[in-house]
Amino acid sequence: MQRAKWTPYLLLLPSLIYLAIFFLYPMTQAFQLAFTREGQSLNLRAEAAADSAVTGNLALQTEVRVIERQQIDEVLPNGATRPIFWYYVSGTDANGSTVEGWVNQRSVFIENRRTSETARVTSGEAVREWTFDHLNRMLTDFRFGTAVSTTLLLMVLIIPAQFVLAIIMALVLQSQIRGSSLFLYIYAIPLGISDLVAGILWFAIFTQRGFLNSLLVSAGFLDLPFIFIQADHMAWMITIIVLAEIWRATSIVMVIVVSGLQAIPRDYLEAGEVFGAGLWQRLRYIILPLLKPSLQVALILRTILAFQVFAVVIAITGGDIVTVLSNETFRWYDPGRFNNPSVAAVYAGFIMIISLAISLFYMRAVRSQEESVKAA
Amino acid sequence: MSAEALAKESLSRPSAQAWEAQRRRDKLLLQLRRAGVYALAILIAVWILFPILLIANMAFSTPQDVRAFPKSFFPNPISLDSINFFLSTEGIIRATGNSIFVALLAVVLSSLLAVPGGYAIARYVFPGRDAIRLVMLSVRAFPIVVLAVPLAVIFLQLGLFDQPFTLALMHTALTLPTTVLVISSVFASVPYEFEEAAQVFGCTPLQAFWQVVLPLALPGIAASAILTFVLSWNEVFAAILLTLSNRTLPAHILYNLDKSSDPFKFAAAFVMLVPSMIFIFFIRRYLFNMWGQINK
Repeated sequence: MQRAKWTPYLLLLPSLIYLAIFFLYPMTQAFQLAFTREGQSLNLRAEAAADSAVTGNLALQTEVRVIERQQIDEVLPNGATRPIFWYYVSGTDANGSTVEGWVNQRSVFIENRRTSETARVTSGEAVREWTFDHLNRMLTDFRFGTAVSTTLLLMVLIIPAQFVLAIIMALVLQSQIRGSSLFLYIYAIPLGISDLVAGILWFAIFTQRGFLNSLLVSAGFLDLPFIFIQADHMAWMITIIVLAEIWRATSIVMVIVVSGLQAIPRDYLEAGEVFGAGLWQRLRYIILPLLKPSLQVALILRTILAFQVFAVVIAITGGDIVTVLSNETFRWYDPGRFNNPSVAAVYAGFIMIISLAISLFYMRAVRSQEESVKAA
Repeated sequence: MSAEALAKESLSRPSAQAWEAQRRRDKLLLQLRRAGVYALAILIAVWILFPILLIANMAFSTPQDVRAFPKSFFPNPISLDSINFFLSTEGIIRATGNSIFVALLAVVLSSLLAVPGGYAIARYVFPGRDAIRLVMLSVRAFPIVVLAVPLAVIFLQLGLFDQPFTLALMHTALTLPTTVLVISSVFASVPYEFEEAAQVFGCTPLQAFWQVVLPLALPGIAASAILTFVLSWNEVFAAILLTLSNRTLPAHILYNLDKSSDPFKFAAAFVMLVPSMIFIFFIRRYLFNMWGQINK
């Protein structure tokens, strides 16, 4: 270890700048996308000219009173002139206060340019204004509810099974059997498999003309193939997604658990054995308590990943009947479908808030449990 | 043998025969337990390998056999027709090229950024070190979905939409925190004394790093680079948002999935699977070191 003043900061600076650009800036952009919209507002001018100072602004469709008018002759490129009117108008702005100023005739609808006493604002400059429209649109979308409940259902079904399987896999690898490096490689293979590939693999097994039906029909259990993947068989589709996710994403939990197991001193386990603790007792009283930090890390990681489950769902079910949050984000963003990045940004923000909340909940739950143990 | 049983036996002074019988029983029990562990290990291995074998079977069957029902569990005859059909479909070669380009660029960028950063965290004590580590630990799990939407809009505004290199920038951002942590653990495992010795023998700090530390850390850095490659090769959500006509392989396949035939899908899955399996094979020894270090 060295002590130096500037070198480490200099070495870390590129990474930190890069992360700031690609994490912080998009976050502010996402917030803006989600809670603002393109609007128009008409600027009122101090004098009858487009470049004079702004005295206030009015929303579209505001009815205004015309107090004064001024005709300016605009010279066209061919030398002819045409009359352009500027009106001195008075109206109520978005805050409810009365504002007055000059506007060009182009920005208002007026019955008679020379005699009318009132006009209506019809155009203005582009502005971004705050809005909850996108949020409302997400909340009232008929797919939102099912996307949330399906995502949560998948999480609740997948994560406990993954942890049990991962701990079993880790214990098998740690039991020093021959060929354990081969088993290690096989157990690690799913780490490199994308959710899309995993989805197609399990689709191949459960599709109507797939392997499971081939087996069941050739063995005589069924006369006709059973259609697992169809709108009437929601439970089957969820089951297949759960199987595919357990198959694909247990390896990452296993790797974390094995690293945690390796950090447990051998003495502890040997002491347990000397005092006659069986496998179950060693697991319950020595291994699991010492694994808790690793399990917590894995739990948070898996939970955050569970909210991003995407290609598996599309590959197995097509993404229309069974839908999840990330799929809805894509559906709203996709230029070929809803083409509305703002609602997609609301979905993204929702995913972030819910995964953050659950991570914090886990950390608090673990801490309060520790405190109650200490207090007891 | 349990402790109580041992105590009882020693009190009753057993005969040599009783000892022998007890020993044999224990050995049998141990062997049974080992057999159980092996059975479990093999069962889990089959659970993981079986779907892969099925898809390999499909990839090496003729398209007719892929569509057949009931399906055969072995390819007969073995044929490359399905894979050829997949590879010769329009857009696949280009998408594969895009995928490789994006993954390689992400590997280069994240390594260039993370090697100095990781070295700083491994070798120096400085105010803010723990805070920086904590930041890296927490953003490493940041949801891709959350970043992809605003970044796609930003790139659109900048006129950089539909360009594969923007996707590489995004993949670099996603893997950078992990890469920094992994590489710092790699450098931490190279003894500082080596570097000191090199400097004693007249190397400048930069030379000592370049000629002594880097060669020793290279296998670990390569492993982390491979991990980045695999992550980028597999990533589909950001890919499908950030590109439209220049899709990467997974994005291209996913977007056209509902219009694809079974032979196309299964051959696609197999082609995407093979590089990942090979890469995981190369870095299998590093997996636990890498994850072990960065989960502390």
